[in-house]
Amino acid sequence: MKDMIKITVSLVAIFIAAALIMGVTYKYTSPVRFVAEKKEKEEALKAMAPDATDPIVPSGTWSSSHGKPYEYYLASSAGKPVAYISSTAGKGYSSFIAMLVSLDTDLKIRDIKVLHHGETPGLGDQIEDPNFIGQFKGKGLSQLILLKTETKENIQAISGATISSRAVTNGVKDAVQTLVDKYGAGIKTATAQGVAK
Amino acid sequence: MSDVNYGTIIKNGIFGENPVFRLALSLCPAVAVTSGVKNGFLMGVAVLFVMTMVNATVSLLRKFINPKVRIPSYMFIIATWVTVTDLVMAAYARDVYKQMGLYIMLIVAFAIVLSRAEMFASKNKLMPSIVDGAAMGMGFLLALVLLGIFREFLGKGSLWGMQILPGKPLLIMIMPTGGFFAMGLMMGWLNWVDRKFFGGTGASSGGH
Repeated sequence: MKDMIKITVSLVAIFIAAALIMGVTYKYTSPVRFVAEKKEKEEALKAMAPDATDPIVPSGTWSSSHGKPYEYYLASSAGKPVAYISSTAGKGYSSFIAMLVSLDTDLKIRDIKVLHHGETPGLGDQIEDPNFIGQFKGKGLSQLILLKTETKENIQAISGATISSRAVTNGVKDAVQTLVDKYGAGIKTATAQGVAK
Repeated sequence: MSDVNYGTIIKNGIFGENPVFRLALSLCPAVAVTSGVKNGFLMGVAVLFVMTMVNATVSLLRKFINPKVRIPSYMFIIATWVTVTDLVMAAYARDVYKQMGLYIMLIVAFAIVLSRAEMFASKNKLMPSIVDGAAMGMGFLLALVLLGIFREFLGKGSLWGMQILPGKPLLIMIMPTGGFFAMGLMMGWLNWVDRKFFGGTGASSGGH
């Protein structure tokens, strides 16, 4: 009985001390981290549409199938729209994969950037590989289908990282769907039609 | 305790009981991150820091930690220092963090960190424990850099991201398979050197 109390006290004391150390570190590092991440996001946003001269401001928010809110943006140059951008995320193997997607004015994918993720090093983190992410360029909404076989028309999954590949594809698809819904009216393209929700 | 020989501890950590080539501990991360010199080096630095801090903490608390719950206690100390490293790097070393962020949290599970806490720090005073942590960390760092040089040079024809050879002489070296080849070759070579020139008996076998 006495032993049990001793053990408990010793463990609890270590846990409290550890929690204090981590808490204090978090308190002092998180503002710095927040500012740095915000700045990185702004830079990433700018890089999505380098030809936009007007400042890119959020035009609204949408919520994805997993219930999280995301912002979308209209990038324009001297009042004329040049690109539609949206932030999005997909639920991967061990994390949410946060991304930015930009569309051309004809609603084809222009560029994709993975902002951050926590997928397995060596397997899931290959989603950042240009060979994979580059596949999305120029694709329309109806082409965003993940296949495990070789394909030029659709998206080819990374072997060993199917879940992460699917997460990216679904996240991108959500964003493209949103942008098509918001901006697609009037530009009735083949890609925007007949797409199951 | 004047009989502590720091020179022996340091030599032990870097060569005699090198974590990767001799103790054969923490081989998974050693294979995973050494496809390039830079990754190996950064990982080594992070491990060096964590091991030194963990050894110091465990040594300071060795009278206080109840032997019956020592493993959970060590694990918590390790997790604390890894989290602190992660948070600090995320705030102040963004570029490094973007490359290393995924690996930092893995240090929690490194057998070598736990094994030094159990084998050395829990039985020794503060200073020797710090030196042992740093020396073992150095040994790990050196092993990762050696493997990184070997693999990146053969696999990509470059060093630290700079292209040296035209093309890729032996692509398999940067694959996980090549990691095991490289590690086996290095281990064998070091054993040969030890036997031939220092009269040693070679490395022990087995590990995690």
